[in-house]
Amino acid sequence: MKRFAVLQLSGCAGCEVSLLNADAWVDRFDLVYMPLVASVHDVPEVDTLLISGGVRTDEDLYKLRRAVKRAAQVVAVGTCAISGGVANLGDRDDVRELFLTQAQRHHVPRLLPKTHPVDTYVDVDLYLPGCPPTPELFMAVLDEDADFKASKIVCQECGRKKLRDMRPSHLLGFQQGEVQPDICLVNQGYLCVGTSTRGGCRAPCPRAGHPCVGCRGPSDVFIEKQSGAWFTSIKRVFKGMTDIPEDEIDAALRSPQLALFLFQFSDYSGDDRAPRPKEKVL
Amino acid sequence: MATLTFPLSRIEGHAQVVIEVRGSEVLSAHFQATEFRGFEYLVRGGPAEQMPVIVPRICGVCSTAHHVASVKTLEDVFGVTPPPLAATIRELLLLGQLIQNQATSLFIFTMPDRLGVDSLFDLEDSDLTDLQQTAMTTRALQVRQAGTHLISLAGGQFIHPIKAVIGGVTSGITDEAAAEMREELTQVLPVATQLVDDYWAASLAMAERLGTWGDDQPACYIASVGAEKPNYYGDVLRVMGCGERGMCTIFPAREYAEYLEVEESDYSYAHQTSYRGNVMRANSLARVNLVQRLGTPKADAYLSHFHETFGMPAHAILLFDLARGIELVYALERSLEILGGPLDHEDTDVAYTPRDGEGYGLVEAPRGPLIHHYRVEDGKIAQAEFIIPTVHNLLAIERALRVAAERYVTPAGVNMELENAVGRVVRAFDPCIACATH
Repeated sequence: MKRFAVLQLSGCAGCEVSLLNADAWVDRFDLVYMPLVASVHDVPEVDTLLISGGVRTDEDLYKLRRAVKRAAQVVAVGTCAISGGVANLGDRDDVRELFLTQAQRHHVPRLLPKTHPVDTYVDVDLYLPGCPPTPELFMAVLDEDADFKASKIVCQECGRKKLRDMRPSHLLGFQQGEVQPDICLVNQGYLCVGTSTRGGCRAPCPRAGHPCVGCRGPSDVFIEKQSGAWFTSIKRVFKGMTDIPEDEIDAALRSPQLALFLFQFSDYSGDDRAPRPKEKVL
Repeated sequence: MATLTFPLSRIEGHAQVVIEVRGSEVLSAHFQATEFRGFEYLVRGGPAEQMPVIVPRICGVCSTAHHVASVKTLEDVFGVTPPPLAATIRELLLLGQLIQNQATSLFIFTMPDRLGVDSLFDLEDSDLTDLQQTAMTTRALQVRQAGTHLISLAGGQFIHPIKAVIGGVTSGITDEAAAEMREELTQVLPVATQLVDDYWAASLAMAERLGTWGDDQPACYIASVGAEKPNYYGDVLRVMGCGERGMCTIFPAREYAEYLEVEESDYSYAHQTSYRGNVMRANSLARVNLVQRLGTPKADAYLSHFHETFGMPAHAILLFDLARGIELVYALERSLEILGGPLDHEDTDVAYTPRDGEGYGLVEAPRGPLIHHYRVEDGKIAQAEFIIPTVHNLLAIERALRVAAERYVTPAGVNMELENAVGRVVRAFDPCIACATH
C-alpha cells in the first residue's frame, strides 16, 4: 500500500481540509504523517510527500529539508507552496518593514526575511496548484493517474455562454451589480480570468457567479512564458469581447492585490527563476 | 529548573506547549503559537472590495466565517443592508461550517484520545473490531462531508467560499438543490446522533478513568448568541460574568475594545485577550452556557440532559467537547428547517455605492465570536483588525494547562500521562492557530 505524508508549512490548512474531502484514499493509501489529523511528530520514509504552505520561518525550512530526504516523490500542493500565495503579499517592501519592526517575537521560530515557495530550496517532482486544489485533483495525484486530463482552461468548465452583442464599456467592481445567470462574466463586465487560468477545478467560482481569480495559475500556453504574455492574453480577451478601455483593464490587472498577483505574486515579483516545466504541473 | 516542551497535533496549525518546573513546583505553562503570516499588515493598501476573497485565506478550516464577517464589515462601512433571503443563506453557510468543524473536532481531533490511538485513520491499536474501525472512520467522514456539501451549496465552494458578496449573496438555492441537500442531511442526522452518543459514552469512560473533567474553575463566557437561542449571524456579543448566571453584559462589535483587553505576548505570535482582566472562554461551552434552549427537538433533548448532568453554567473543560456534539445535532436540524423553506423566491442582493469609512462585522464562528474591523480610505484598506475567538481562549488554555501540570508533576516525578493531558486540554478548546496569528 502506498505510504504518503502531508507536511504543512506556513499556510491556512485549506489544502489539508480539501484532502480530507477526498475520502477515496482512506482505504487505499496509508497516511503515515499529517499533524492535523494524527499525533505523529516526524516524517517517516514515504512514497509520496505532499507539501502545503510557504517557507515563512526557519522552522519551516528545517522541517522541509528533513522531510524531502525521506520521500521518493515530492509534490508541492496549493498556491502557497508553489507561488507563495496570499501570504506573499507580505513580501512588498513596505509590509516587510512592518513585519520586522512589529511582528518578530522571541522564543518562537524566527521569520525569514522573505517567504518563499518550496522549490526555492528543494527539488519538486510535481506541482498541484489551486487555492486549494479540489479533492478530485488530490486523488489524481495520489492515484498517479496517467489518463487524468484536466481541462486546459477554466472557461471550458464554466458553462456560461459568451455573447457577441453584450459589450460592457467599463469594468464592474468585483462585487457590484447583479450577476445574470448563464451569461459569461466577461460579457457582464467582471474581471474574470478564466480564459487563461489552468482548468481542472471544474470552475466552482464562475459557476457560482464570482469571477475566476486565477488561483490555479496560468494554463499550459502561458506557464513557461513571462507574466507579460499572460497579461497580454487577458487584455486581448477583453478587447475582443468588451468595449472596456485597455488602460482600465491594465490598471486592474496590475493592482498588487488583484487576482493574478494575489495568487502568483512571487512568480512575477522579479526573481529570475526558470519557469516550471508544464509537464510537472497538474 | 526543567523545561518540558510538548509539540501539538490534531489541532489546526502550528503550536506547542512549554511547561517549566522546579522539583514538583510548576513555574509556568505557556501556549506558544509558532506561525505567522501577517494579514493585518499585508491587506493594507488593497482594494476593500477584494477582502471577501483575500481574508478567507487566513484559514482553510474557518474560511466561511472570515468570508461572511468580511462582507458584513464592508456592508457596515458602505451602509448597506442585505435582503432577508441573503441573511438566511449566510446562516446556512455558517451552519455548514459548524457541522464540518464540530464533526472534525469531535471525531478526527479528539475521538482518538478516547480510543487511545494516534489517529482516526489508524485504529489498529484501538479495542474496536475491524468492522467497527471502518464504520467509525466512514461515518465520521460522512457527517463531516455533509457540512462541506452544505457550504458548497450556499457558498459556491467549501473552502474559501465566494457566494457572499457586499449587499447579499450571488444567488438563491433552487428547490431541487435544496431537496437534494435535505435528503443528504436527513440520512446523516441519525448517523451523527449515533456517533455523538458513542462519543458521549467514551468521554464519560475517559473522565472516569482519569478521575477528572479538567479545569473546572469558573470563568467568564463570551459568545454572540440571541437572548435565548443561538444566532450565528447576530449583531451583539454577550458575556456572562464569572459565576453570575443570568447577569450578561451585552455590547455590539464596534464597542469590543471597551470590554476586551488585548495584550501582546513575547513568547507567541498570538495575542491574548481578557474580559476586563478576567479569564474568559469562547467556543461551544460558552454558547451552551449562554443559551436557554437551541430550538430544535433532538438538540434540545441533548442540551437538557447536559444541563441536568453537569449544571448550569458548566465549567469543566472536557465539556467543551460534549457541547460540540450537541451543536452538531443542532446545526443539522436547523439546516433541515431552513432548507424546507423557500430559498429562491426573491432578490438575494441589493445595489450599493462604495464609500470611505469604518466598519465592523461579527459572526459567531465555531470557535466563538469573530470580529473584523476595517478602515477604508480611497476605496482601499487603510487598516484592518481581526479579533479572533481562539485568542479569547488563550488565557483559559494556559490556566487549564497549569491545572493539568500541577496534577501530573508530583514529588515522585513527572507522570507520563501529562503529555496526553496537554493534548486533551488544548483540543478541548479546539484552537485555530492560523486564525489566532493570521
